[in-house]
Amino acid sequence: MVVLFIVATLIPQQSVSPEFAWLADIYHSRVFYILMALFSLNLIICSLNRLPLTIRQYRASHFPPPSGLFENLPQNRTILTHKKMEDAEQRVEASLSPAINNVKKTNTEKGHLFYRGRGRFSLFGVYMVHLGVLVIIAGAVAGSIWGFQAEIRLAEGQESNVVQLAGSGTEHSLDFTVRCEKFVVEFYDTGAPKTYRSDLSFIRDGKKMHRGSVLVNHPLSFNGLRFYQATYGVSEDSRAYLRYEHTGRESREIPVLRGETFDLPDQKAKATVLRVEENIMQLGPAVKLRIETNKNKVEFWVFQHIKKIADVNPGLFSAVPVFNPGRFQPLVFSLQRVENQYFTGLQIVRDPGIPFVLTGGIMLLIGIIVIFFVSHQRVWVWVEQEPDGVKIRVAGRSNRYNEASQRQLDDLCIKIERGLSA
Amino acid sequence: MNHTMIFNYVTFIYFLAFVLYLFKLVLKKESWGYAASFAAWTGMLGHTFSLMLRWKESYDRGIGHAPLANLYESLIFFAWSIMILYLLIERRIKNRILGAFVVPVAFLIMAYASIAPGINSGIEPLIPALQSNWLTTHVLTCFMGYAAFTVAFGGGLLYFWKSIRDEKGSNDLTLNDHLPSLEMLDILIYQSVMIGFVFLAMGIITGSVWAHYAWGAYWSWDPKEIWSLITWLIYAILLHARYVRGWRGKRMAMLAIIGFASVLFTYLGVNVLVSLHNYI
Repeated sequence: MVVLFIVATLIPQQSVSPEFAWLADIYHSRVFYILMALFSLNLIICSLNRLPLTIRQYRASHFPPPSGLFENLPQNRTILTHKKMEDAEQRVEASLSPAINNVKKTNTEKGHLFYRGRGRFSLFGVYMVHLGVLVIIAGAVAGSIWGFQAEIRLAEGQESNVVQLAGSGTEHSLDFTVRCEKFVVEFYDTGAPKTYRSDLSFIRDGKKMHRGSVLVNHPLSFNGLRFYQATYGVSEDSRAYLRYEHTGRESREIPVLRGETFDLPDQKAKATVLRVEENIMQLGPAVKLRIETNKNKVEFWVFQHIKKIADVNPGLFSAVPVFNPGRFQPLVFSLQRVENQYFTGLQIVRDPGIPFVLTGGIMLLIGIIVIFFVSHQRVWVWVEQEPDGVKIRVAGRSNRYNEASQRQLDDLCIKIERGLSA
Repeated sequence: MNHTMIFNYVTFIYFLAFVLYLFKLVLKKESWGYAASFAAWTGMLGHTFSLMLRWKESYDRGIGHAPLANLYESLIFFAWSIMILYLLIERRIKNRILGAFVVPVAFLIMAYASIAPGINSGIEPLIPALQSNWLTTHVLTCFMGYAAFTVAFGGGLLYFWKSIRDEKGSNDLTLNDHLPSLEMLDILIYQSVMIGFVFLAMGIITGSVWAHYAWGAYWSWDPKEIWSLITWLIYAILLHARYVRGWRGKRMAMLAIIGFASVLFTYLGVNVLVSLHNYI
């Protein structure tokens, strides 16, 4: 049985170690689940098999003591005193249990036998560990069955309720919409990344229900789903910031993307952004606009560095009218800047197994600590009236390494002796 | 004086301590042992001081974090954990022979940290993934575990050394009287593994709590995770073999050595594989 257990521990190990390089998804394969099931079954069977023995040990009566306990005692474990029997017994009891009264006592032929047990619960530490492992496995299974894992990519200003499920990549609709208000990436002077942050809002039925920022290590929860900052990138479309001058007054800054339209005031005109370029014909950033009115439509480029271009090429606007940012009179457009537009990649997770895994982990840890650092120590002290005085004999049993428990018995003897001579 | 220079001196002092421990092992004179211990303590204190200095400097530069954030810092901390744990055990068991098997490991790690190519010894600001309170707890528990396993490994080596000597010179009593008994070594291996096992369990658990916040999954079957689990299972086998099958002595020593090989692979070997854990 034990060999089987050790072998069972080895099996999932060997199957996990060499495979990860080439068998990418082994941990979701049927073989792996079967191995885990076998491993769990083994753990259960081994634990149940040993449980009756442990319960017997736990309930073991302390009287009479195990046979041979008081035979071959080292010399220092026997104390002779000329004090009265009652005084000696009182001393023994006080030394055994300084604080709590957990000393058992029974009558023997020529005196009394005292017993003190400590750390009896530690016998069950191993079951706590095994149960912890099983709870973790159960949590992992629950997570893989009822859990949910998906991804979403949103450009700044974009919103969506459609996410891609992990693994299959199929689309799935959420019952609320996520909007990326802003994505921020900051770098240290060394060039290493410092911060990735997505400012999100969650919208349901047209209402903003919740706003918040997602950072690496700081996920955000909404509606039972947790959102993680997973990745980011620069989207193909850049964002341009335009202004126009109208009768000597500058308009506000208008952020635009390719394909977007905006209305021009005081005119029954509509502008469409045809192209946004970061660097066209080595002339720097530029935007191509089309402006339509009821009567006509014009197309032209708005360059960011139009002044420089015009200075270098005198008579440019008459030669190439599409380069004139004032082609749609009386407005004169100017391009403030063109910026890369980031998109953020969010991971969306729901895992109902987590409370189990956490509980299992804590049980495991407590169990291990109990096994290692608490031992079941049993001490018997036999006080008898002999012709030449009162004889006190000390003996003990422990389920862990003997050296420490022997030392404790020595300490106890010294304590009793000191008490008697005081 | 800058901390990198102190680390270099510390490396040298550890080497010196190792040589002195070797003298003690071969020449059996207790004075060599005292000298070795003195060197080891000196090195360890310098090491501690220099770690503090590095920590402080990272705050002076405004990127303040515990010096546990890249491979160099982890190697330095690993060596430090080994030394402090070993020296505490040395005080407890009152025997200095084990140093000849444990201190060289600390020395080699320090030397590797300073001379291996591609190891950046600079203080770097934390990248977003490492900006977490779990960093210190996770790294601390893992490396305390590794250090305890290193001591168990040293115990295993000494066990084999001693049993070979016993077989060769069983008549020569003076040969072995300065070595700890085999029973004591067996207990030493067991107790070190016990400490390491608890710390590694804590390291794995804190790691998965952190992963839960950082990666969105408490367990990603990342090579480092898998190998830490394998290491943990090897030591679990060792403990089961001891409790249930009553394995002692040579078999324990063998398993402690195998376990340490797995520790090394978990720590360094896995880095050649593609991993989420690529900061260390």
